[in-house]
Amino acid sequence: MRKLAAALAFAVFGFGAGSASAEPAAYPHKVVTLVTHSSPGGGSDIFLREMVKHLGKYINATFIVENVSGGSGARAMSRLATSKPDGSVFYAITPTYIYTSLLSKPPHTYRDLQPLAIVFADPEVLYTRADGPYQSVKDLIDHARKARGRFGAANPASLERQAAERLKAVAKVNAAVVSHEGGGDLMINVLNGTLDAGVGEIQELRAQLAGKKVRLLGVFTEQRLADFPDLPTVKEQGFDVVVHKFRGLAGPKGLPADVIAVWEKALPQLLADPEYKKVYGQESLIVDFRGSAQATELVNGFATEAEAFLKEAGVIK
Amino acid sequence: METLSQVVSMLFGTPLIPAALIGLVWGVIGGAMPGLSASVTMALVLPFTYALDPMSAIVLLASVYIGAEYGGSIPAILIRTPGTNSAAATVIDGFELKKQGRAGEALGISLWSGVVGSLFGLAMLIVFTEPLSRFALAFKPMSYCALGVLGLSIIASLSGGSLLKGLAAALVGMMIATIGIDPLSGVNRFTFDLPDLLGGVKPIMVMIGLFAVAELMRQSGGVDLATQAATSVRIVFPSFPMMKRLAKPQGIGCGVGLVEGLLPGGGGSVAAFFSYNEAKRWSRHPEEFGKGSVEGVAAPEAANNTVASSSLIPLLSFGIPGSNSAAVLLGGLLIHGLIPGPRLFEQNGDVVMGLYVGSFVATLAQIPIGLLILPLCMWLVNRPRHVLAAFVFMLVLSGVYSINGSYLDIAMVMSFGLIGWLMLKNDYPFLPAVLGVVLGPIVESNYRRSLLLSGGEHSIFLEDPIAVGFLITAALFIGFSLYRERRDALARKKEKEVNANA
Repeated sequence: MRKLAAALAFAVFGFGAGSASAEPAAYPHKVVTLVTHSSPGGGSDIFLREMVKHLGKYINATFIVENVSGGSGARAMSRLATSKPDGSVFYAITPTYIYTSLLSKPPHTYRDLQPLAIVFADPEVLYTRADGPYQSVKDLIDHARKARGRFGAANPASLERQAAERLKAVAKVNAAVVSHEGGGDLMINVLNGTLDAGVGEIQELRAQLAGKKVRLLGVFTEQRLADFPDLPTVKEQGFDVVVHKFRGLAGPKGLPADVIAVWEKALPQLLADPEYKKVYGQESLIVDFRGSAQATELVNGFATEAEAFLKEAGVIK
Repeated sequence: METLSQVVSMLFGTPLIPAALIGLVWGVIGGAMPGLSASVTMALVLPFTYALDPMSAIVLLASVYIGAEYGGSIPAILIRTPGTNSAAATVIDGFELKKQGRAGEALGISLWSGVVGSLFGLAMLIVFTEPLSRFALAFKPMSYCALGVLGLSIIASLSGGSLLKGLAAALVGMMIATIGIDPLSGVNRFTFDLPDLLGGVKPIMVMIGLFAVAELMRQSGGVDLATQAATSVRIVFPSFPMMKRLAKPQGIGCGVGLVEGLLPGGGGSVAAFFSYNEAKRWSRHPEEFGKGSVEGVAAPEAANNTVASSSLIPLLSFGIPGSNSAAVLLGGLLIHGLIPGPRLFEQNGDVVMGLYVGSFVATLAQIPIGLLILPLCMWLVNRPRHVLAAFVFMLVLSGVYSINGSYLDIAMVMSFGLIGWLMLKNDYPFLPAVLGVVLGPIVESNYRRSLLLSGGEHSIFLEDPIAVGFLITAALFIGFSLYRERRDALARKKEKEVNANA
């Protein structure tokens, strides 16, 4: 599946590279609104604002970012679902919109939107304090077998907690999975030794990694990260836990085929843009381009898995 | 010498001064708008900073923060509406002073205390970032839980008479705070499947409802609606003897603000309440508190302005924001590719230096800007009372609506207003309710987190010296309050008997 996506991305990219010097692709709208549920400065907001700086080279339109915060994405989903599916408005999706759809009964859910593309995956990593006793996932699990393990996640209903709970289940250990009110709280409790390890995004750990305060134990992806080649995946350390924190775009249901085609051609070109590459290269983002059909498949698969996890954890019925 | 020339070239060679001034003015305005908290005020300007150079952007944001913490006290004093979370404690004595026609004095004291707090916080930030950041790490979930309990223990002294009514109000506050996603399990609590309630009820909604809307309802029911107390629009800056008197509460505010700013979660509102209570405890005139004490304005205002600077300490040294507003600043740093942490000081020393200098400029500029803005605000609140009440209602509701564009928020604020009005009529104190909303989640989530860590053993609290210290202090506070309550009750009984015999 992944290979297919890569091959497809390559094919599209190859086609795109031939026309790299060409004019930006014609587009049916002059202004395209990209909606995010992040407030300014939040994860998806930064993602969109970096993207629109370069997107104009490949699609002939003006892109504006609109922050529709509130309701953990519910308001943004409604904004999208009630817009015309004509390609003039899209929404920056992350697993949050699925969790919100599952956790509450928002007027519109992820099922009312059509994924346009997946662009990146944010790697989730398992980390511990640098002066702590654990060197690998195995050390951590061995400790949890002997005593009570203490794992941390940033939020109670999140992919991070899902990863920690699954690690606990796969390793069959007795561990407390403690959720927090954000990555900062979690970080303090990992640094001061209250927790053995935490699950977080690599971007949030940059400062501590640079200051050599935390040590990465493993990454919850299929393959190793390009910028951390020595960091083994959790899977290759014998614990089959892989999570996929996707980043992409979705539109209202019923997007016209020509609009989808423009984006599916432009996004790989954008990803190959040397200037844009420099920006996302610093963020440890994994390029994971998928077109609308595959993105939809991924999102639906993710939702099924998340729903099963939330039910198992007793969060929803 | 080199540093000095660097500072001078920064001041005059870069757009640092305009950035600081613009940020400050916007911060004061945003902070003074009911509903726009300091963090929202900052988030609103964040998009404008994308095009600026990193240093100006950071200075602008930090200046907005300083301005907003100060601006929040203006409506707190003038219209009994805390502009920001952390101005809730200022309402108590600030509005009392205003009722006594001493609004100019209260605003002058709040301005002066804000400057003192900002300067102190800035000095701590510049000199002690390294050792203080280690202190922030020492706090474990057990310590936070105990800190929250200590905070709740001051309910008694904020109850203003009846301890029972104070506790009841605090319970209502804590119940409101349980709405939203459960902080540990993720289960929805009292959200009625409404996505707007997933994030819980923001304390500012409760505060605006209880303080502002309830007050407007009370005024509308009064007979003196058309009459108007003429107050001078002149700002009275504290005289030298007054400054000396304020030094103690300001010192308390600075100390409490420093500690709270270092710890994620609490933020300015907890610091303001704590310092208010401590200022009362150590004051020579504790009887004035709640009836228009100048010290009661000075302490919380010094505290919340100190937090504006001290919350930058964990932010810059670890990348961990100590408050919501610091989190917005973190976003601003990240957008410009600046990653806070130990290496920020080495790699982007000029930005850090600029932040210090810019914050200093903004701090000092508070005085002239305040003196310019305040007479205008005072003139506004001196308009005929019925016009003013309608205006304030509109201001409050549009402020609330502007945060999320949610009708539910408006409905909530109105309901809290109704609850507040009922509380007012039946002599239930507001402050314990607000304290419950702010501290309830801190106590609950950290208590459960501690027990989850220990596997259900309460002994984990005894293993943490900070928690033990806080819990003992809390026990002493409660014991003292109970003793005083009993002593006063006995005294009242005696008085009654004497009266009956007479």
